[in-house]
Amino acid sequence: MKPAPFQYVVPESLEEVMDILGQHGAEAKVLAGGQSLMPLLNMRLARPAVLVDINRLPGLDQIAVEDTAVEIPCLVRQRAAERSPIVAEELPLLREALRHVAHPQIRNRGTICGSIAHADPAAELALVLVALEGEVVAVGRGGERRIPANAFFRGIFTTALEADEVIRSVRIPRRRFSGQAFREFSPRAGDFALVAVAVALDVDPQGRVQTARVAVAAGSDVPARLTEVEARLQGAQAGAEAVKAAAAQAREAVQAGSDAHASEAYRRHLTEVLTEEALLAAMATTGGNVA
Amino acid sequence: MAQAPRFTGQRIRRVEDPRFLTGRGRYLADLEPLGTLAVAFLRSPHAHARIRRLDVTPALQVSGVAAVVTGADLTEANIYCAGLGGQPYPPLAVDEVLYVGHPLVAVVARSRAQAEDAIDAVVVEYEPLPAVVDPVEALAEGAPRVFSQAESNLCFHLEHTPEGLDALFAEAACVVRGTFRHQRQTAVPMETRGILAQYEPVSSRLQVYASSQWGHGLRDGLAKALGLPQSKVQVTLPDVGGGFGAKYGVYPEDVVVAWLALKLGRPVKWVSDRLEAMVSDFHARDSIHIAEGAFAKDGTFLAIRDHMISPAGAYLLDGSAAVLETVIASLVLPGPYKVQAVGFRIDGALTNTTPLGTYRGVWGPAATWVQESLMERAASELGLDRVQMRLHNMVRKEEFPYASCTGVVYDPGSYQESLQTAMEAIDYPGFLKRQREARAQGRYLGLGIAAFVEPTSLGAWQPEPPTVPYESAVVRMEPGGEVVVQVSVNSHGQGHETTIAQLVADALSVDIGKVTVRFGDTAAAPYGGGTFGSRSITVGGGAALEAAGRLRDKILAIGAHLLEAAPEDVELRDGTVAVKGVPARSLSLAEIGRVAHWVPAKMPSGMEMGLEASSRYVPPPITFSNGCHAAEVEVDPKTGRVRIQRYVVVEDCGVMVNPTIVEGQIIGGVAQGVGAAFLEELGYGEDGQPWATTLMDYHLPSVTDVPRVECLHLETPSAVPGGMKGMGESAMVASPAALVLAVEDALSPLGVRFERMPLTPERVWQAMTATRS
Ligand SMILES: Cc1cc2nc3c(=O)[nH]c(=O)nc-3n(C[C@H](O)[C@H](O)[C@H](O)COP(=O)(O)OP(=O)(O)OC[C@H]3O[C@@H](n4cnc5c(N)ncnc54)[C@H](O)[C@@H]3O)c2cc1C
Repeated sequence: MKPAPFQYVVPESLEEVMDILGQHGAEAKVLAGGQSLMPLLNMRLARPAVLVDINRLPGLDQIAVEDTAVEIPCLVRQRAAERSPIVAEELPLLREALRHVAHPQIRNRGTICGSIAHADPAAELALVLVALEGEVVAVGRGGERRIPANAFFRGIFTTALEADEVIRSVRIPRRRFSGQAFREFSPRAGDFALVAVAVALDVDPQGRVQTARVAVAAGSDVPARLTEVEARLQGAQAGAEAVKAAAAQAREAVQAGSDAHASEAYRRHLTEVLTEEALLAAMATTGGNVA
Repeated sequence: MAQAPRFTGQRIRRVEDPRFLTGRGRYLADLEPLGTLAVAFLRSPHAHARIRRLDVTPALQVSGVAAVVTGADLTEANIYCAGLGGQPYPPLAVDEVLYVGHPLVAVVARSRAQAEDAIDAVVVEYEPLPAVVDPVEALAEGAPRVFSQAESNLCFHLEHTPEGLDALFAEAACVVRGTFRHQRQTAVPMETRGILAQYEPVSSRLQVYASSQWGHGLRDGLAKALGLPQSKVQVTLPDVGGGFGAKYGVYPEDVVVAWLALKLGRPVKWVSDRLEAMVSDFHARDSIHIAEGAFAKDGTFLAIRDHMISPAGAYLLDGSAAVLETVIASLVLPGPYKVQAVGFRIDGALTNTTPLGTYRGVWGPAATWVQESLMERAASELGLDRVQMRLHNMVRKEEFPYASCTGVVYDPGSYQESLQTAMEAIDYPGFLKRQREARAQGRYLGLGIAAFVEPTSLGAWQPEPPTVPYESAVVRMEPGGEVVVQVSVNSHGQGHETTIAQLVADALSVDIGKVTVRFGDTAAAPYGGGTFGSRSITVGGGAALEAAGRLRDKILAIGAHLLEAAPEDVELRDGTVAVKGVPARSLSLAEIGRVAHWVPAKMPSGMEMGLEASSRYVPPPITFSNGCHAAEVEVDPKTGRVRIQRYVVVEDCGVMVNPTIVEGQIIGGVAQGVGAAFLEELGYGEDGQPWATTLMDYHLPSVTDVPRVECLHLETPSAVPGGMKGMGESAMVASPAALVLAVEDALSPLGVRFERMPLTPERVWQAMTATRS
């Protein structure tokens, strides 16, 4: 378990990063918190010729609140985000999800953007980015692009990022929901989820669901919104009945995978269970009139 | 003993802990003599394949590489496995690879990273051959054979049908049956295996350091494999970070590393990483029991039949699980219950997987599960209370020593009392009420009971025992009065430096701070069988007590002589020899030490100089500890997840030397039992590819999975000096059964029975869904 030989570079500016990536393309790999990349290197599953350590880039470790979005740059550690008052205030769903990511020791090093770049289909943070319609800010020699979450994740460990691009930050809209919740089921605390569900809702004073976001990661290639379920919820009276129906529909609608950890049937079942729990929890926090 | 024990039985803090807890332990990986070379192995990616071409020349070009060796280079060094399989066991594969992880090339380089680079450069062409993984399939007609020249994969067979067995089944009021499949596991000690070997030209001796449970065994094995005299191999064990059975014996990597050190004349070191550990440490368990139990109308347990099928992996090892787990099970299947006859059949099969060996509690987890399941199923068929029915069948106090129908003799224990104590602690009547109330609310609460015996402290348990039947100790008092104890057992986490010091300090009436316990170096420690089978404190401690007793007699004799008193009139007291009733007439141990080492004229006539005594203690064939586990669980009907609400252990291991250490062993065993019952599984695909090769896939219990364990103690002294019984494995023996049965009890309204562990949430959910529909 020792990595194959590589060249190690520690750039001190984003421009330098882009130069190196432009020069080496797919032969280079960015090293952020290392919590996914180091195991891959040690098992020789990843064999980059050049390792570009971005940990010394200046000015990229503070979360910023803008008019319409919260910006999380690439050196913000998961643990820092979890403890950030900005995240607590603006992005309660992200904060709730972060507690399910690995263990505190790993969150101390791992970055939010690193998890997004890694694109593990079971990753909590990717799911939240999809649920909250966030976007990825990628920079490369060709300039800067903003890629919406639903276009960013392309498959298992596969994203829309070009070989010469680096994620500078992720941006998540400042959009208050009246309620939200995150639920997951994993073999042990801190493990990747067999199924994870993120929901966010607006419920009007009459107790009707105005908008619903339901996103699920269930062992398929990418985390996805369940638009049919969202559509059914919209306009429905918030309450156990609507939730039950929505959860049953989620079971059918979800793209569930099958692997050594869980069968497709079990994942569908868990999707129903967790969707029900998450929707009820989200409705309970809305303060609306839940029947 | 001269006075009431000061240390034995007390919760003395472990003397080794300050070193371990402050990072000052010294493990194999910490040893780095000047010029040490690192080894990496190329391991087969196939379950079974012919090696069509093997070209190592590109590996020799890699920077830092000192040597590359293959099976062909090593034909002079062979380790052989025992048993009916009898296949030669070359340390590196020759011609064919037989399992994923089978080593076939070793590279020696300046660093491990360079050695791995060279491994990458080796060119191998494999011709895949048919593989067989499942033991039942391996024994079927026409199955692919692991060794093509062998007639079949059957590598071990034993059966016995006692007279009257069939009649007992024919007359029984109730016969219950079940299939019980214990999954494959591996021990996963926190410190992986490792070995460092160095040839010492001055003494023409091979010095070996290893992370092992048995230095003398490794020495003997290496001497045999390499054709060296035993005196020319010295094995030294540094601190060992866990073993659990996986570090007992000689592994192929050990032979390769030792051989390389001889060839290269430089220190050579290999430290297993977790990836290779998962496919090269002994795998364990993986047995199938097809069992039935016969019961009379009043619940009397009459007889057991059990067909055990167990894979050996690609080689039948000396300590093969296919033999040890099953043969010991055949002897103690009745557990604490009186049974009139046990019939069994054992079939061991070679398969294309990592060889199976020992893991804490060999025989126990599967057999206790069988034993307690038969009991539960019969109780529910006969409509009897399961606690009463157990009590009814248990060996009673007045029946000891009890000769079991299987031929083993149980020494006195507290079988009924431990069950009763456990039921009081868990509040059995109260539980039944809670369970009823919970069920009315759609909640599933269950109570699992596992009453167990643990055969410990093996001595001469067979006429020609396959294990060393004794342990040794040399107890020496230095001229200054300090005591050094050399023992043949060694610690890989058990706390021998503390417990053996407690025993010796009391035997010699000195402060525990004056006693140092040493082990782990074949050049200094007396011969013995190392640490296995819950026998260190009984057999090793017994030897220490016996030797200390002999030394005490000598000290008293010298003291009496110097005090001009009769030996029976003097006593050892707080570091002095004094005339009984006349404390003023006393001598310090330092004074006695001075005389014994320096002043022949003052010694009793004819007495040898020095203060040293030794013992080779052969214990009774088997000492049985016993106890009872009770687990209360709640099953989430939505997800199948099991939560352990309470966990009670009643343990009777005779006289406890150190209750804190006993409880540590219990809690660790329960943790591993949680792993067996709910989490851990080393599965293989049909193609022979293991699917748990990292700790992401092999789910060890973590802190949130292990319950708080309530420990209660009973003490029925054994016949060994000090009255101790072994207990290192008992919690692992009983806990899987208690947990699985708790889940079955919770789901009893649905009639769920489990045939295989672990009970992952998905399996529980499936079982619930299957019975609901
Ligand atoms: C024991 C353990 C348990 C874990 N459990 C979970 C879990 O439950 N849920 C979960 O989601 N994750 C889990 N993880 C993974 C963890 O969340 C990682 O931290 C995260 O996936 C990667 O973030 P990182 O900063 O460490 O990235 P790194 O490991 O440094 O990099 C990961 C990948 O992203 C790329 N990358 C990183 N940053 C950038 C960037 N700014 N621009 C472009 N590419 C970039 C790297 O090149 C690499 O390919 C676990 C990890 C461990 C070790």
